[in-house]
Amino acid sequence: MTTPNTATPRAASVTTPAEREIRIERIFDAPRERVWRAMTDPKLVAQWWGRGNNLVIERLEVERGGHWRFVEHAPDGVHGFEGRFREVTPPERVSQTFEWDGMPGHVVVNTMTLESLEGGRTRLVTVSLFLTAEERDGMLSSGMADGLNESYRALDRVLASL
Amino acid sequence: MVHYQTRLDLRFGALADTTRRGILERLGKSEASISDLAARFDMTLTGMKKHVRLLEDAGLVTTEKVGRVRTCKLGPHRLEDETIWMNKYRQMLEARLDSLGEFLARTKGDEP
Repeated sequence: MTTPNTATPRAASVTTPAEREIRIERIFDAPRERVWRAMTDPKLVAQWWGRGNNLVIERLEVERGGHWRFVEHAPDGVHGFEGRFREVTPPERVSQTFEWDGMPGHVVVNTMTLESLEGGRTRLVTVSLFLTAEERDGMLSSGMADGLNESYRALDRVLASL
Repeated sequence: MVHYQTRLDLRFGALADTTRRGILERLGKSEASISDLAARFDMTLTGMKKHVRLLEDAGLVTTEKVGRVRTCKLGPHRLEDETIWMNKYRQMLEARLDSLGEFLARTKGDEP
């Protein structure tokens, strides 16, 4: 058996099955129970969710209807993230809402499915469903210039953070 | 599905340039010919055509040739805050999954 290389985990695939959905698939070299624990035990979550930034886990109630709220102290500022659990089925499936304080009201429903693979590995599929308003693909008009400039400013921030 | 991602990437690429953003602002006021735009942005026609083609590929601008003049106007797609948010969210999620993978590799054998 070959040793799976997970020193540099890569996206197996990122697709957008629908315009409101993002699907990301990853394979981890760890058994499903361990991946589940890393995703649900506050002590473990604190060690990776912040991507190297200091993370404060204010709440993590892993049960249907339970709240979660994390605060990440990043170089560009303090960011709060929160949501509620919609479905919790250890160790195979968890569905939760996600909101960033910086975009209040833009709720994402995140569903993570864990599948046991041979060799003690786990496939994690994350589907993020965006529930925000319909994409307005209307024609631009000069009256929309302010909104356009807002978008450019937001884009600049995104590009700067790449 | 893949098509959507490609279009999104095209749009981000098209907008990552000051001149092209300026062109969109200009076209937001009224349509203009390639030569109008070239004059306004102090560029050659060839240079302006390249910018316009990128914007056209991204669906942000449409052009129509009437006689010898190619007229540009804003296209059917605009970049929504929401699209930006989706893209940013995806990057964030991927970074967190990378981080989870590194954590699992780092703590391998630390079990229970």
